[in-house]
Amino acid sequence: MMEQTPPSATGLTALEKVIAFVDERVGLKTIQAKMLNEPVPGGSRWAYVFGSILLFIFIMQAVTGILLMFYYVPTADHAFASTQYIIHEVDYGWFLLSYHFWGSTAMVVCVFAHMSQVFLWGAYKSPRELIWLVGLALFGLVMGFGFTGYLLPWDQRAYWATTVGVEIMDKTPVIGDFMARFLKGGATPGQMTLSRFFVIHVMILPAGLMGLAGLHIFLFRAAGPAGPFRGTPEEIKAKTDYFFPRQIWKDIVGMVTVFLTICALAFWEPVVLLEEATPDPGDYHPEPEWYFLFLFQLLRLKMFGGEFGQFVGAMALPGAFMALLAALPFIDRDPERNIFKRPIALIGWIMVMAMILLFTIAAIINREFLD
Amino acid sequence: MMQPKLKSKVRATDREIGEVTRVIVDPLSHEISHIVVSMNGSGERQVAMTFVQSVADGLVELRAAARDILELPPFKRDEYVTTHEVEIAHLEEKVHVTPGEVLVPFPELEKSVKRRTFFMNFTHVIGFLIGLPIAFPVLRYLMKPMYSPFDNGWLKVGNISKIKQDDIGFQFKYKRKVKEAYMPESEIEKNVWILKATPAVLDKVYQGKDLEFKDAYGKAVWTNKKDVPFVAFSGKCPHLGCGYKWRQHKVLGQVFLCPCHLSIYDASGKVLDGPAPRPLDSLPIRVSATGEVEIIDMEFKAGTKTQIRII
Repeated sequence: MMEQTPPSATGLTALEKVIAFVDERVGLKTIQAKMLNEPVPGGSRWAYVFGSILLFIFIMQAVTGILLMFYYVPTADHAFASTQYIIHEVDYGWFLLSYHFWGSTAMVVCVFAHMSQVFLWGAYKSPRELIWLVGLALFGLVMGFGFTGYLLPWDQRAYWATTVGVEIMDKTPVIGDFMARFLKGGATPGQMTLSRFFVIHVMILPAGLMGLAGLHIFLFRAAGPAGPFRGTPEEIKAKTDYFFPRQIWKDIVGMVTVFLTICALAFWEPVVLLEEATPDPGDYHPEPEWYFLFLFQLLRLKMFGGEFGQFVGAMALPGAFMALLAALPFIDRDPERNIFKRPIALIGWIMVMAMILLFTIAAIINREFLD
Repeated sequence: MMQPKLKSKVRATDREIGEVTRVIVDPLSHEISHIVVSMNGSGERQVAMTFVQSVADGLVELRAAARDILELPPFKRDEYVTTHEVEIAHLEEKVHVTPGEVLVPFPELEKSVKRRTFFMNFTHVIGFLIGLPIAFPVLRYLMKPMYSPFDNGWLKVGNISKIKQDDIGFQFKYKRKVKEAYMPESEIEKNVWILKATPAVLDKVYQGKDLEFKDAYGKAVWTNKKDVPFVAFSGKCPHLGCGYKWRQHKVLGQVFLCPCHLSIYDASGKVLDGPAPRPLDSLPIRVSATGEVEIIDMEFKAGTKTQIRII
């Protein structure tokens, strides 16, 4: 009685037939409906765009990264030359490389924005602890991407950022020496380091990121969006809409904005390599990428000098901070999500941001003093 | 296909006998094969769809008498699992039964299987046994380049006549041949700071003792005599491994300054300011009669209080 007869084949375009064919076998329309018809409590907002933007940035990083690999050679004698070739010889190579570079910067900015939004909205609280934890792991992966990718052009900037970065890891008690040698593939940076960083950057981290991002979204779908931190259930219900179309529209506008910004930066500030990597820095003053500058400046303080101080500044302090973030949903069990009723959280966030800003500015001011 | 609804009344040819409590679905054809009828207090019977005459809203009419239905064997619930427990794709699309349980028969072969926990654990053990023997080879595979013996060869870096002033940091650049794994031999540029030291500075460097250098086995390879006025400092900053410079400092005068984390050392390598954990690293140095300077290109781990040689 209820048997569904397939719709008559007449009157359907070829494309509709193909879609119908696939739909019959995998339930395409149901999947699409489930993906798009997700209720957003309290309605769509611009504040929610960062997750989608991060996915977009990652896809673009993957696309540009794959394109770069058509010419890039991860060997100590050809990495620099092949990168120069991409910049100077290959049509639009400069653009793709610069897009990839600025894309990584955009990634870090949006990760900060995304984490801040979740933190300020109290969206890490029960029942969304797991989303938060996976998100922190993703944050670690993004930092790993930045660190490993930085070495690949094999210029002086690359060489010294890696040298110092790995030396910092070396200060981890007990396993530090092993970890540093394992990453470097030896006592000092060389071909083995390049090979290792390359495989981590293009295979291990992308696989990890795809898996964890999938898990992140799955957990998010299982728990549902947190919605606004203000308003009665009736008010929130009255304003609720679906992910499509209003939120997707906002996400798309965000993606286009980010895309155009990255393009503009790639166009006006294209990547320029320094001298080829070598253990003699010449006149170059080593400095990490801007998002590590505050940590770099922190290590200039005398209190973080010496063997122990260095460990405290470079490993223990950031490690403790990450541990605190991971423990946050379990320590902060108060269901109150309104940031204006969570003074410790608000002051904490402002202080961390102010510290990062302060140390970054100090590092920039110190540059002039050095020249 | 007939879709008997749960809670529908069931009427035999002669009288009403109960109501539908469950439906049973064929997992392959996705068709309802049986209904389960609660017999007004006389237990449940599993009634094949072939007995069903018609299905109307709220009423299922059978083509058998009440007596015949009662003679059917009682319904055995534990021979079935619910559709939530098995993965049968698209079942819900075909069967419109709400609410309640939709059942499929528990496979014959599964009924007699005991020790499910044992088999589950056994699977884990097998997985572990596959992983265990490859863990060590994989680790060794990845560790291959991590540790290599020290190179205690002497390298020419330049002539001492270039240094015109005492107690001034003077940088010599030199090239070192590197042969890494399968790579062709290549040259890397490095630098070393050579100091023509006055006795006062020399004493601060060596503190009145000859400086002995050892290989990996603790055997002495060279001794810098405390009264030889030429001192070599490794170009690597002992803080975090950057390259430092000889610079004019507003307050401290001429110093070694590392641009990375602003460690400052005096001409003898002593830490004056900044986060460095130890003085600059002296290297084995020898100067020939013609003034040719040779060093052993050692490197020490940065960031540690004591010197730990790594190259």
